[in-house]
Amino acid sequence: MTIAIERLRKSYGATHALKGVDLHIADGGVVGLLGPNGAGKTTLVEILEGLRVPTAGRVSVLGLDPVKQARELKRRIGVQLQSTAMPLDLTARELLELYAAFYPRALPAGDVLRRVGLEPKRDTLVRNLSGGQKQRLALGIALIHGPELLLLDEPTTGLDPVARRALHEVIREFHRAGHSVILTTHYIEEAEGLCDRVIVIRSGEIVADGTPFELIARAEGASTLWIAFSGPFDPRPLEAAGAEHHGQEGAHHRFTARDPTAVIVALGELLRSQQLTLTDLRMKRPTLEDVYLELVGEGEPAKLLEASE
Amino acid sequence: MSQVRSFLALYRGHLLAYRRARTAIYWSLAFPLFFLLMFGFVFGRGNPEDTRFVMPGLFTITIISGSVFGIAMRVVTERETGILRRQRVTPVSGVAVVLAHAATALTTLMLSLALQLVVARALFKFHIVGSWPAFVLVLLLAGAALIPIGLIVGSVARDSRTAPAISNFLFFPLMFLSGSAIPFVMLPLWMQRLGRLVPTTYVNESLQGIIVRGEGLSKVAGPLAVLALTSVLGVSLNGLLFRWESTEPVRRERLLLVLAGLAVLYGGAYFLTPSLGMAHYRLKG
Repeated sequence: MTIAIERLRKSYGATHALKGVDLHIADGGVVGLLGPNGAGKTTLVEILEGLRVPTAGRVSVLGLDPVKQARELKRRIGVQLQSTAMPLDLTARELLELYAAFYPRALPAGDVLRRVGLEPKRDTLVRNLSGGQKQRLALGIALIHGPELLLLDEPTTGLDPVARRALHEVIREFHRAGHSVILTTHYIEEAEGLCDRVIVIRSGEIVADGTPFELIARAEGASTLWIAFSGPFDPRPLEAAGAEHHGQEGAHHRFTARDPTAVIVALGELLRSQQLTLTDLRMKRPTLEDVYLELVGEGEPAKLLEASE
Repeated sequence: MSQVRSFLALYRGHLLAYRRARTAIYWSLAFPLFFLLMFGFVFGRGNPEDTRFVMPGLFTITIISGSVFGIAMRVVTERETGILRRQRVTPVSGVAVVLAHAATALTTLMLSLALQLVVARALFKFHIVGSWPAFVLVLLLAGAALIPIGLIVGSVARDSRTAPAISNFLFFPLMFLSGSAIPFVMLPLWMQRLGRLVPTTYVNESLQGIIVRGEGLSKVAGPLAVLALTSVLGVSLNGLLFRWESTEPVRRERLLLVLAGLAVLYGGAYFLTPSLGMAHYRLKG
């Protein structure tokens, strides 16, 4: 068990950042913490890192207490904090060597530079690196001692899609080596594409937990189907399978359905009995984004726009 | 053992960064040079004999500015920008972090002093009456005693705006009460009394002993002992106040403890001064 959290609460005076979180994370996954600003993601991650002390509850990371066994834990976790602060007058290589010296064992700085794609920038001062390069260097620092667990707080915020994909690849590679990753993110497609488990947090509570697929399946949202036939057709068999006909859009008839697989089975039957051929079929499943918006409630789309800008 | 390695790596990193930062070089080299020229040409009227008399004061002032200002600012900046927070999630200890800053400050201070010595030798034929090894030892001990004060300012200051204010506030008593700007005997009696309560008085006295009066280490052992104790006490007490993050509060009871610790040390020094062999520091009305 990488992480075990029981009835975790964290309050700052009258503000309750976490209100009784229970969470167990098995070894070897990529877990994404998703939620609006101020939901408690950072508080949760920083409690795991030992930077914040819980108000109540039990926390164990790699079998260790982040407060009482901080020394041991720090050697085994790799951390990227939300705001990357690094000495500006050192080169990328010098910075990695500095952090390497803090650990009893560390990887050669050159290897880590290659892994995060900063080999050509090894002798560039940190102050002259771009935002994306700094983020990659921050990830490099988190990897320098060969940790068992990565805790990344918004590792890709503010990056362009290419830089983000490059970072995803580094994280996947770390995961393929059998290690665990916990990351917070604002990007739904990041959670969907990178994580095998997504935990949605809202106002200090876990409101959803599962694989991206499970979350979508569990959601209320309906799928949309666009179907085009070779001639006139009778929609009743599809309606009997739970589809709702919304009329025609060009050559396509639009249907919505909670259970689109049943509609497709009925569609096969319809084609045979009404002697028609199918000229086109398109389907749109509800996305994780629809699920997310449903979970975190009203007023969020504006924030999401902000975050993705 | 790994903390020693961390310390050395941090120290090396600070020096590399120092070499690349122009403003840092300006403050630690150009400023002391300016002070030297002012002391040499104005107070020493450019002649070697008079200049030698004002040099202990010059070195004392250089040591004050080199230990109370820069280091406090560097600690506060690292805390404010979150560099310390990032280091907090690694196994590096606060002691290694603090000592690396102290060692860096001591190194740059020694560079400033070395520059002053070279230029003073060239322009004013500066030489010391006592022994060079003793002189260097006094400079090192003086730096070691005053740098913890800069560390404590760095630990206590709320942000990068309050740090220089506190440093300035300390700069003037450390300078004027020590007799480094104005000779001790010219100070009014109450200021002479207060002077025994600041570490720089003991710096100035040791430097005068070696540079002007040609005394050996045994003669200045008293003030040197006060400086050594200040150094050890200062570094330990700073450990009580060190903060990794700006959000951590300054513990008021710990600050009081630190002030009490320094008060005990300097209270003792106050009463012992006459028997420390500090002939020039007997009160004269």
